[in-house]
Amino acid sequence: MASEAEMLSRALAGDERAFTALYHLRQGPVFRFALHMTGSVEMAEDVTQETFLALLSAGRRFDPARGNLGSFLYGIARNQILRRIDGRGFQPPPPEETASPEDLLEDLTRRETVDQVRRAVLTLPAAYREAVVLCDLEDASYEEAAAILECPVGTVRSRLNRARGLLAQKLRSAKWVCNA
Amino acid sequence: MRELLGLLKEIDRDREAGPAVEARVLDSFRKLQRDRTLCRIYAAAAAVAAGLLAAVAIPRHASNATPPPIRSTLVPSPQMPRAAEEVAPPAPPTLLGSAHEPAHRAKPRPRAPVATDFIPLMDSPPPFERGEILRMVVPAATMRTVGLPVSEAHLADPVEADVLVGQEGLARAIRFVSYEQ
Repeated sequence: MASEAEMLSRALAGDERAFTALYHLRQGPVFRFALHMTGSVEMAEDVTQETFLALLSAGRRFDPARGNLGSFLYGIARNQILRRIDGRGFQPPPPEETASPEDLLEDLTRRETVDQVRRAVLTLPAAYREAVVLCDLEDASYEEAAAILECPVGTVRSRLNRARGLLAQKLRSAKWVCNA
Repeated sequence: MRELLGLLKEIDRDREAGPAVEARVLDSFRKLQRDRTLCRIYAAAAAVAAGLLAAVAIPRHASNATPPPIRSTLVPSPQMPRAAEEVAPPAPPTLLGSAHEPAHRAKPRPRAPVATDFIPLMDSPPPFERGEILRMVVPAATMRTVGLPVSEAHLADPVEADVLVGQEGLARAIRFVSYEQ
């Protein structure tokens, strides 16, 4: 199987099959990163689309020696996301209606918990949010996250610790409000 | 906290962009490729057109100026394609009704096309499945872009060329066509 760098090279030369394969391979993580950062499916889809179109024009700048293609795509997606959430007072959207009639009580509780976590993540400052989303939700290593966020590894670690602390606070207070 | 984040990760693990996004992305990809192909073809057309002018116009000019006519305006070199080398100078002009005019004007012989080999336009093209050859007129500068020598004064001259366009719409190779006289 061709490496991602080879697939990108072929896609940039006009090979639609290579581009489609790359899209299928990488659109999920890009979409989820955007979704967890924005809380909006519509915006996450816009970001995904713009990221892959930007890849066609900026793809020649990709250097495998500096990281994998996933990190490169996260970097493009991050710019798209920050452009959208900057300057418009970020408001996390209401939780999505995900329960179906066959959901059991346990499932409802689980989903409610997940919604609380999702909302708590969305209310984090962007710098903390992206660290949590990349490292805890998308399994990026500290080094990968540092490359994507263009900051030292130590900064990623400290943002992550701070983000987890803030999340714990938010979830504790949410639980207290729910139980009150 | 990690457990809760793991729960969120697990729930969202399979979420991805909808099929409409893929359709839009692929549409944009195809449009971009079409635009690039058109740009390449226009550039090649302009270049080959210049080359054809160089191949046709200069021999006439040269034959009027000096007794041993120049066979081609293109700089001769080992890589020179036959098409460029075999552009013959036009016959010297004759006066109508002169005594030298033959009784029966000789019918012009049909011109035989002379083409170079196909010259690749892409460094690492995707696999070739099918394609078509488009005949067009491009400037002679196109010949220079693929490494063929053309004199500076005739870069804009028109030259006929066959462009091989692959199944994905990309111009893959070009050959230049001239005519023996």
